[in-house]
Amino acid sequence: MEKSKNKNIIYPPGDAGIWIIIYIELITFGLFFLGYVYSRRQDVELFNSSQLALNQTSGFINTILLITSSYFVIRAVHSIKTYEIKKASIYATRWLNAAIGLGGFFLIIKMSEFVTKYSQGINLSTNKFFMFYFLLTVFHFLHVLLGMIILFNIKEKTKIQGYNKNDLKGMQTGASYWHMVDLLWIVLFPLIYIIR
Amino acid sequence: MKFDKYTKAYFILILLTLFAYSLGEFELINKTLFIILIITTFIKGSMVIDYFMELKDVSLKYRIIPMIWLFTVLSGITIGYYF
Repeated sequence: MEKSKNKNIIYPPGDAGIWIIIYIELITFGLFFLGYVYSRRQDVELFNSSQLALNQTSGFINTILLITSSYFVIRAVHSIKTYEIKKASIYATRWLNAAIGLGGFFLIIKMSEFVTKYSQGINLSTNKFFMFYFLLTVFHFLHVLLGMIILFNIKEKTKIQGYNKNDLKGMQTGASYWHMVDLLWIVLFPLIYIIR
Repeated sequence: MKFDKYTKAYFILILLTLFAYSLGEFELINKTLFIILIITTFIKGSMVIDYFMELKDVSLKYRIIPMIWLFTVLSGITIGYYF
């Protein structure tokens, strides 16, 4: 967090540009979510019966993985803020490695879900529910992938003691993006998998 | 054992996720539980915004944007499903 000298404004952590990206992403996904809700109203039966084909347990595990991964990332940021540089870098690198690993598990589970659906003959053009399902989850999947690449780069810089208490804006920028990916899934999970 | 604010937020997120999963898995969703699920999803989103994204102490104009987003999306879902 950055405090301006003249006014009592406290800025969000990380680069200002990432927050513009985050707000745009939230609006984009928000419109998709509302589009899903609107389409469901046109054919509730179709949406409810199609939803039965989804595996709620894998959706649940993926939610736990992303939340835990997000927690590990904030622990990495906290380590940099708290400890002296050498110790901080070691701790933060470990947290980031764990976070990336969980992101990887998320992708594997999601990928296996896609393969299962595909082998059952279910795809984007099966019906409106699955169009939204694939659109939302594949779009989110790509965000997780990008988030992992960002985290990997942050981890590499952390390893060589590239961040410290006074200079961690780059780390906070990537961390904010990763938390956004988590936030999106927190809404997506009940919407697609749970609510009927 | 004393937990910091991040760990407390994490435990709450896990518990609320378990609650959401139980509703779906045991097909318990009715109108009342649907509203509770929406409220708990709002709480989860708020915790990610406040503690993981660290927006709790930033100026209101920055924090309010994701909060309004969360509120609008969940309100839209509620209207679409409930009414």
